[in-house]
Amino acid sequence: METQSEEQAAAEAADSRGEGEPPQVAGPQAARPEDRMALLLRVRAQTKQQLLEYKSMVDANEEKTPEQIMQEKQIEAKIEELEKEIEEAKIAFEMKKLALDRMQLSSALKKHMEKINTKTSVLMDNMKQILSLNKSVMKSQQETRDLEDKLLDVRKKRLQLKQASERKLLEIQTEKNKQKDDLGSMENSGKIKTIQQNLEMEIQITTVIQHVFQNLILGSKANWAEDSALKETVLQLEKNLTMIQ
Amino acid sequence: MSVLRPLDKLPGLNTATILLVGTEDALLQQLAEAMLKEDCTSELKVHLAKSLPLPSNVNRPRIDLIVFVVNLHSKHSLRNVEESLHHVDATFFLGKVSFLATGAGQESHCSIHRNTVMKLAHTYRSPLLFCDLEIEDFRAAMAQRLVRMLQICAGHVPSVSALNLLSLLQSSENPSLEDL
Repeated sequence: METQSEEQAAAEAADSRGEGEPPQVAGPQAARPEDRMALLLRVRAQTKQQLLEYKSMVDANEEKTPEQIMQEKQIEAKIEELEKEIEEAKIAFEMKKLALDRMQLSSALKKHMEKINTKTSVLMDNMKQILSLNKSVMKSQQETRDLEDKLLDVRKKRLQLKQASERKLLEIQTEKNKQKDDLGSMENSGKIKTIQQNLEMEIQITTVIQHVFQNLILGSKANWAEDSALKETVLQLEKNLTMIQ
Repeated sequence: MSVLRPLDKLPGLNTATILLVGTEDALLQQLAEAMLKEDCTSELKVHLAKSLPLPSNVNRPRIDLIVFVVNLHSKHSLRNVEESLHHVDATFFLGKVSFLATGAGQESHCSIHRNTVMKLAHTYRSPLLFCDLEIEDFRAAMAQRLVRMLQICAGHVPSVSALNLLSLLQSSENPSLEDL
């Protein structure tokens, strides 16, 4: 299977070299040999890739598979391990390619620099522009940092003011609560109760005395409607003094 | 032959063959036509099948990519695909098999949950594509994608192999399935 594809590839390579010989073909026929060459080159690349696939399958089949029956979770863990290995190999390859490209680029650059006049080339202009842009970038970054610092200061001050106002409000609240408590405690104290009781007794005594006077006046059969002072005393029947509490 | 093997035949020169397996004939036909309309440097051959195993009397070329089409509206298509999967050799699943779920756009008609198909694709370690095959633009885009995948699986793209593509496609899918 593999030798067949190798022979095919060799035959196609010979053909493509043969086709490259006559380049002077006029008009529309000029497209066809080039198309055919492109096709041949493409088929060559395809066959190479397919050969690689078959080779890797053969190599894979030569590896011994483990005979013991593993649990599904173990198999999955193993698969993930192998996939990680593949990823790491890929990454290592990419890094190496990158490093190689960089080395090639730097050596090409060095050779180029040795040949040219360093004052006038386009490369130097580019480098100078890059440097000036970098400077402006750094300046604007510095400015942004300064502005951010200022912003931070303002925010800190605001926070401090907020905390101070919080403290003040808390103090006000505690003072108010203290006042309320004092008032409440005062009302419940015994002093006020005794004073209230005395007041009640005095009011009752006054009411009794008033009633006595009223009955005296009424009983004396004097004409109390003519005298204003007597009138007032009698008419006080209507005022109920015990309501004053 | 009862089991499909990926590398048991020699590849045809500059030809790539794809096998679409699914119960929805009309959709597969339309997808096949969209794929054949695509601009491609290699010759494309599209085979359609309702289910595997394929009849062994037909002389067919080497199959480079199998796409199992599941219609999320019918449980029958999922069962059909699951049964057909038994007739595919294990080495096929190294990047030459893909699942395509259609009909995800109409949530009300879906009788299969997305996660079922995602779990199926995860068990078989194959990429899962979602596409509403009834909408022409999506079908054309999916046809383009399948043509590129087919070229890679047939070995027509130098330096990229089917397994390479598989590991590229898988790295973004696995983390989401761990949360399930």
